[in-house]
Amino acid sequence: MDFKDYYQTLGVARNATAEEIKKAFRKLARKYHPDVSKEADAEVRMKEVNEAYAVLSDPEKRAAYDQIGQGYQPGQDFRPPPNWEPDFRSGAGRAYSQAEAADFSDFFSQLFGQRGGARAGGGDFQARGADFQARGQDQHAEVLLDLEDSFNGATRQINLRVPKLDDKGRITLDDRTLKVKIPKGVREGQMIRLNGQGGAGYGNGEAGDLLLEIHFRPHPRFRIDGRDLYLTLPVAPWEAALGGVVPVDLPDGGQLKVRIPEGAQSGRQLRVRGKGIPSDPPGDLLLDLQVVLPPASTPQARELYETMARELAFDPRAETRT
Amino acid sequence: MRDDDILTGVILEEACLTLEQVASVCSVTPDWVRLHVEEGLLSSVTDSATEQRFTQRELWRARHMHRLERDFDAAPELAALVADMLEELVRLRAHVRRAGLR
Repeated sequence: MDFKDYYQTLGVARNATAEEIKKAFRKLARKYHPDVSKEADAEVRMKEVNEAYAVLSDPEKRAAYDQIGQGYQPGQDFRPPPNWEPDFRSGAGRAYSQAEAADFSDFFSQLFGQRGGARAGGGDFQARGADFQARGQDQHAEVLLDLEDSFNGATRQINLRVPKLDDKGRITLDDRTLKVKIPKGVREGQMIRLNGQGGAGYGNGEAGDLLLEIHFRPHPRFRIDGRDLYLTLPVAPWEAALGGVVPVDLPDGGQLKVRIPEGAQSGRQLRVRGKGIPSDPPGDLLLDLQVVLPPASTPQARELYETMARELAFDPRAETRT
Repeated sequence: MRDDDILTGVILEEACLTLEQVASVCSVTPDWVRLHVEEGLLSSVTDSATEQRFTQRELWRARHMHRLERDFDAAPELAALVADMLEELVRLRAHVRRAGLR
């Protein structure tokens, strides 16, 4: 296990004041905020920054870290002393949830216990009596699916860390693999609740639920908006001008025949009802027509274009003139 | 892992999360959620049993607001404003994607 230099992570000196540590954390929290950061590894860096701040913002944890980490360099092989008893429950520093603690490193778990003072529902239940009983924490996780999964249904394997009680009644983090059936018709942002698959209950309390939030990977052809799908549909000039029936491949492997109305132009949108996400009710498929010109790369093609130019007297800029 | 280990979940309705569920997922107290609803920073709907229910969008907002308040000591109103802007950012990014511009 590699030693982690939390001071280096936050970019502060070892004798930094609590105020300096807080300031450094906020600066980095802004830099790596997952919703706005342009850094490629923002999510990973934010987890590291959160972990470092969880330790250095808590005087008890910081003192223990300083004591035990003396002489260690970042990345150096690290083992806690044999009689090391991780038992931190002051909760004096920055509060963090069990879900966030689950993202912390093994180094953190070894030093401060796997839960390390994480809080459930805003309270520190470790400080309560032995007969304390409570429902486990509901947990939230995001699942990334392909659009095809919503059309065909799927079974997806999900890896996550959830808090549970060990034989001695202590909270530990359990690496779990769940196989979850993804029902047909799920859409972006929806949640699937798995009863009893969240955090373990305390005492005889029941386990919490796991709420899976559905997201789709970007699709190479379709764009997704709620129940509706958008597709740019290239059409030949004669299909647009004369009308015609063109095939459209659907995400479920099926094919649809779509009638292009006579005189269609690029940018026109056709709505095919009920052919979007197969939810209840189903979404629509919106086709953005894009007229694609054949290249004038052969004498015959050039001649056709020249004939059109001569015969049609077409001025595409007529409406733009004042 | 055997096939009978496959878990089947329930797709949640649009506004079905209880106040306690929102609090539990966000690791905050139910009073934190109540206060933010009273201040108009989070919205809830009331079902036929006069129990407050929250949408998944409100859960998203609550998670972000809680983190902003905690990480930056942000006033709840400021955290709500940032959550509004983050929502707008998500909406605009989706709009750009739909338009095929990115």
